[in-house]
Amino acid sequence: MPAVETIGPRPSGGLSAGGVAPRAADHFIAAVPTLWLAIFFLTPLGFTVVFSFGRSTFGGVELGFTLDNYATALSGFYGVTFVRTVIFAASASALCLAAAYPVAYFIARHTARRRTLAALLILIPYFSSFLIRVMALHMLMSRGGASEIVLNALHLHAGPLDILDTQTAVFIGMVYAYLPIAIVPLFVVLDRIPRPLIEASRDLGASRFKTFLFVTLPLSRPGIATAVLLTAVPMLGEMVIPKLLGGSRGVLMGQAIASQYLQSQNYPLGSAMAVLVLLAVAVIVLALARLTKGFDEVVA
Amino acid sequence: MTVDFRRRGILSRRSVLGLLGAAPATAALSAAFPGAFRAEAAGSGQLNVYSWPDYFSTGNLEAYAKKSGVTPNITTYDSNETLFAKLNSPAGAGFDIVIPSSSWIKQLADKGLLEEIDHSKLNLASLDQDLLNRDYDPGNKYSIPKDWGLLGVVYDPEAVGGEIETWEDFFKAGEKPGVSGKVRLSDTGWETIGPELWLQGKDWNTATPDEIKAAGERLKAFAKHVKSFSGLDPNQVANGSIVLAQTNNGTARAAIGLNPKLKWVVPGPFSELWVDNYAIVKNAPNLDQAYDFLAYQLQPEVQLEETQYIGFPAALAGLKEKLPADTKNVDIIFGGKDLDFKKLTSFVVNPETVGTYLQVQAEIQAAAGG
Repeated sequence: MPAVETIGPRPSGGLSAGGVAPRAADHFIAAVPTLWLAIFFLTPLGFTVVFSFGRSTFGGVELGFTLDNYATALSGFYGVTFVRTVIFAASASALCLAAAYPVAYFIARHTARRRTLAALLILIPYFSSFLIRVMALHMLMSRGGASEIVLNALHLHAGPLDILDTQTAVFIGMVYAYLPIAIVPLFVVLDRIPRPLIEASRDLGASRFKTFLFVTLPLSRPGIATAVLLTAVPMLGEMVIPKLLGGSRGVLMGQAIASQYLQSQNYPLGSAMAVLVLLAVAVIVLALARLTKGFDEVVA
Repeated sequence: MTVDFRRRGILSRRSVLGLLGAAPATAALSAAFPGAFRAEAAGSGQLNVYSWPDYFSTGNLEAYAKKSGVTPNITTYDSNETLFAKLNSPAGAGFDIVIPSSSWIKQLADKGLLEEIDHSKLNLASLDQDLLNRDYDPGNKYSIPKDWGLLGVVYDPEAVGGEIETWEDFFKAGEKPGVSGKVRLSDTGWETIGPELWLQGKDWNTATPDEIKAAGERLKAFAKHVKSFSGLDPNQVANGSIVLAQTNNGTARAAIGLNPKLKWVVPGPFSELWVDNYAIVKNAPNLDQAYDFLAYQLQPEVQLEETQYIGFPAALAGLKEKLPADTKNVDIIFGGKDLDFKKLTSFVVNPETVGTYLQVQAEIQAAAGG
């Protein structure tokens, strides 16, 4: 994801700043991943774009140029689904950010030598299979499950807990599943904010809150942007969590695209939808890149 | 989305059988069928099978390898759509046997992806005649039934307040307070819209896109009562978070095993019979070996073992009587006591309407909110 590099803070030493001429070996090292990307990413993407202008022949594509697929993908039901998906991803990403920021802030400022341990605790669950983590939540939230027992014992809830197959369950699942990838970039940025800046702000009379609002928060914008990018983009294509925790009610773009490709064997319509999602991603990246504009000067 | 709901739950086909309980009791069955499996049959020394995961008894596979000297190479898929896409591409070359569902036989055959079966090489006499020569493949030109299942309803009679006999009863029951919001529908378009088409006296295989959309309106209105379209976990019905659910006989039996007050019904006027079939791939490289393996698989004692392993009934005639006497809820394995095969219909995927079924299903799921 090259976009991430452009919005992250530049390392202060400036690897790219020197005038050293690249050697042949560097070219070679760069060529391998470039070639890999070209073959396994750009080529299928090219097919998708070409297919999106073709006509479907159940399990095949008649190449040509028509905008019908885009018209279908944007009209009526699929248009609504597209908008709903964008709203879904935006709100889930915002919730995730809201949950991640305090955690990242705490780790960056208050863990000192236990920092590695804190980072590990955040990341270890992320090393296990995504599906297994979601299924674990499924079990926790199901009737007669651990959450029901605990909430009843604490008198926070009485009787059976019917949270599974609701939108609440879906959002809990989304925040849970994507939290680590939101925390990490936020932590990195918060950790790099020079302490003297904070101290200077305090010395000049700003309260803790004002210091946070006018110094820390603006300086952490690249981390916020990266966290939003890393969570919102995959959320646009999310289909497992709504299915396992939300009873598949309400349809999102990820499901719609997959069923066009597989169940309907309609590759052109599925491709057109995929291209639209890609465009939505591009818009998000551009918006986030704008958000972090000017950061380099601030740090420098 | 893409996969028939019965395969999507937490349970694999295999684990549903846990409920069959009994140890493999491959009773002494007479295998005296002419022209059946010949242990010494010489093939090409290789066999490539493309199938659902865990869909052959490991014991049977080992026995076959011992007898024939050939260990079948089994590759797996998780939906008929994946099977179709693969066979329809160059990556499909090299497979000998595949296990498509009844709904996809026609599409696969029409694309020229299946070999016509040479009936002189196989003996289907031991199979349940109700499962042969059905609409989806007249004369069993391309397919031999492997095992089968049904679309029906599992419900809590107390919550629903009565018996369910027809799909009309099902829809009416779902609207009742105490049931509304605790209903599970299939995520497969033809399985949700089909019941309304049957009530209107229409055939789900010949309904026009407009008729499908019209029938879908009732489902869209009904959607507000639905809790889930995802794969059904038997525990959800057993613990009462769902009290009325469309499902298959295997999952229903698992739920009833957990909570005996639940009931299972295959509602009228019609319901679905799905059959998973053995089929031979066009230009199969190991044709002789494929026939040899099929002949082996069709032997009654092998079929009995398959049933016990995968949990859905093999297509063997008189299978019920051959199962161990202590098998629990044995009737439900076979769809209930009075199952009438004449009132069962198998869906056939048709490029003209499958998109409509899918679109309407998506609209139903969207109407359920979330």
